[in-house]
Amino acid sequence: MIKIENLSVAFDGAEVVKNVNLEIADGEILGVVGESGSGKSVTALTLMGLVSKEAAVTSGRIFYDDVVLASAGRPRDMALYRAYQGSRMSMVFQEPMTSLNPTKRVGGQVEEMLRLHASDLTGEQRKERVLETFLKVGLKDAKRVYDSYPHQLSGGMRQRAMIAMAVILHPGLVVADEPTTALDVSVQNQIIALLREINKEQKNSMLFITHDLNLARRLCHRVAVMKDGRVVESGNVEEIFESPKEAYTKRLIEAVPSRIKKEEKAKQRNVTAEGVKAEENILEVKDLNVFYKEGSNSLFSGKKKKPVVSEASFIMKRGETLGLVGESGCGKTSLSKAILGINKDIEGSVIHYSTRPQMIFQDPYSSLNPSKTIGWLLQEPLRVQSLADKTKAMTDKDREAAAYDMLHRVGMEDKYFYRRPSQLSGGQRQRISIGQALITRPGFVIADEPVSALDVTIQAQIMELMRSFQEEMKLSFLFISHDINVVYQMSDRIMVMKEGRIVEIGATKEVFDNPKEEYTRQLLREA
Amino acid sequence: MMRKVKLPKIQKWNKYFTAGLIMTVIALLLAVVGLFWTPYGTTDMSAAERFHAPSLMHPFGTDNFGRDILSRVMKGMGTTIFISTLVVAGSGGAGILIGALTGYFGGILDEAIMRVTDAINGFPSILLALVVISVMGGGRQNLIISLAIVFTPSFVRIVRSEFIRLRDADYIMRARLMGVGRARILFIHILPNIFSTFWVSVMIGFNNAILAESGMSYLGVGVKPPDASLGNMLSDAQGYLMTAPWYALAPGLAIVWVVLGFSLLSEGIRRNG
Repeated sequence: MIKIENLSVAFDGAEVVKNVNLEIADGEILGVVGESGSGKSVTALTLMGLVSKEAAVTSGRIFYDDVVLASAGRPRDMALYRAYQGSRMSMVFQEPMTSLNPTKRVGGQVEEMLRLHASDLTGEQRKERVLETFLKVGLKDAKRVYDSYPHQLSGGMRQRAMIAMAVILHPGLVVADEPTTALDVSVQNQIIALLREINKEQKNSMLFITHDLNLARRLCHRVAVMKDGRVVESGNVEEIFESPKEAYTKRLIEAVPSRIKKEEKAKQRNVTAEGVKAEENILEVKDLNVFYKEGSNSLFSGKKKKPVVSEASFIMKRGETLGLVGESGCGKTSLSKAILGINKDIEGSVIHYSTRPQMIFQDPYSSLNPSKTIGWLLQEPLRVQSLADKTKAMTDKDREAAAYDMLHRVGMEDKYFYRRPSQLSGGQRQRISIGQALITRPGFVIADEPVSALDVTIQAQIMELMRSFQEEMKLSFLFISHDINVVYQMSDRIMVMKEGRIVEIGATKEVFDNPKEEYTRQLLREA
Repeated sequence: MMRKVKLPKIQKWNKYFTAGLIMTVIALLLAVVGLFWTPYGTTDMSAAERFHAPSLMHPFGTDNFGRDILSRVMKGMGTTIFISTLVVAGSGGAGILIGALTGYFGGILDEAIMRVTDAINGFPSILLALVVISVMGGGRQNLIISLAIVFTPSFVRIVRSEFIRLRDADYIMRARLMGVGRARILFIHILPNIFSTFWVSVMIGFNNAILAESGMSYLGVGVKPPDASLGNMLSDAQGYLMTAPWYALAPGLAIVWVVLGFSLLSEGIRRNG
């Protein structure tokens, strides 16, 4: 049994975890849910003894069965932790690529656990045990995985290997920190099922950290909701979901995109499989093939062409949102880059009836130039426009006024005008990205997973912002996402891609209610 | 719309930065003052005062012509720093231009220029500078040109790799979609983002330039006597190492002082990110 008693953790005197009480019984899965910065990861890292040295436990104690692992005022007992880490408690991280050593074979890395903690086994026995565990975590081709390097495995397989490493010694506690966030929906489901199975079989305590309420609901027995370093509510999963007591929990639950809320909105528009009726075309794509060049960019190496999108044909109408769904690697991003002319290695035709189509990217941390101020960034499209087209020239004052106006319309205050992107949160940056893309009223915008990197409550705000701009400017969005529920909420029509081909396209409701393709049905089932 | 001049941001003054700053400021102060005033004339000879050991009158002593060494070190430091600054400015500017173009556009031009820089890097830098000087002739101006040529490849490499890293960044892709022209993308959108990396390489380049200039002048192909430079002072002094050790010590320590000060300064900036 794990018990965290009145735990507070501070960095440089600032408390990030405040009086947290958590208990995990043997065989129980506790979900800790919260947005980024809520202190959930720091709590878990402190429990594991992995939190950075600057962190100080300012109050409370942590129990593992009857042993006090950490307590306030006592320096961290590294020797004690070493006796527990790996053998009696282990962790699965979010990013399976970076948590495996890229220069070592996967089998050897997992075996290392046995070499360190079960030294009585012979080499043969160790290998046997690793292969056995690989099979148990669903790595069917265990022998091949054993001899593979991490980059030779898919994201899902790497995460399975990580889980194998975590559970091979049957630890009493497994901490999983957003273990499925970096994975596709279908793989996500498999990993969740796997964790549940392991929990049943090994009867260990599990701490599952996530920002995704739906996941927590499916996996956990009990849930604790964290906000600003405190546990605001905890209890049985169903109780929390059926009758949340705290306002914050309610908001979190409501913010989760669901299919019910969209209903009325969809009815207002006359949508058919060809798009919103009685509107002109804004984009026509016909027989589009997109290629990917293999091999380096250097002079003497040969180049191989590989098709990543084949025979894509569709049209988009003014003012509509077309949702594009599919698993990662299906060609969504390649298609969108080809449409925008970033990728020039194409065959077929792309006809735009809008000027200067724009794009909003997934990662708000890399889509704004870090060396510029927000005001400068918002003005740049206008500046460039007036450089290219003298009829659209603006005075400096007008341009600044327009930038301030856009800043207000994306819901931000004057004071951000002279700040730089690094001083903004992810949601704020995404707002600026949207403002920057829309300040020249482009007519057509591709949004590539614009909310996937954001917390649920922020997600809802950003989607609302995009919808309000759409109505006002009669914008068309090509909205790309792996999150079926988000797409459902945003889109008039949906397009499903698989392995570079468009397999189904139709009105949102139509596709959801009567999917024609088996692949679409499978996607919907998994969501 | 630039309202604030952007300087490398120093959040916390660490020990390296403080020590480096103090040493550099003292060196620059001596050099700048030396441009306008020195305790004695730098070429004033006096047969009566040959090889005087350091004293209150001559803090660093006098040389074989009875010239005041402090005055000559001040002047020489000015010359050395001046030449190094021009060398770094020239090679840094060329490095930015060539590195930006090759890094951003790539292709055959990039391949060709990279092979040329490989070739230049293949020679020891002093040797190459000597070749350039023996072709163009000696003197201050040719020294600056030859050292700038030798120093350019290292800047090209750094700038090029930074441009390659940033050319496909999301925000650069978006700038392209906005219709931003190539020159504007290169020098207004990308360039400011590489300054922190570039700044450190400028500091290191400056140190190397000081050492190279001193070396060249020591070999007699740089600044010619009677003009003072730290290198040719060392060269003059080596004949009297046993009888007048202070003669060699003063310019030697001056070189160490300047280089160490700059190294500490760049280390301090680097640590502050």
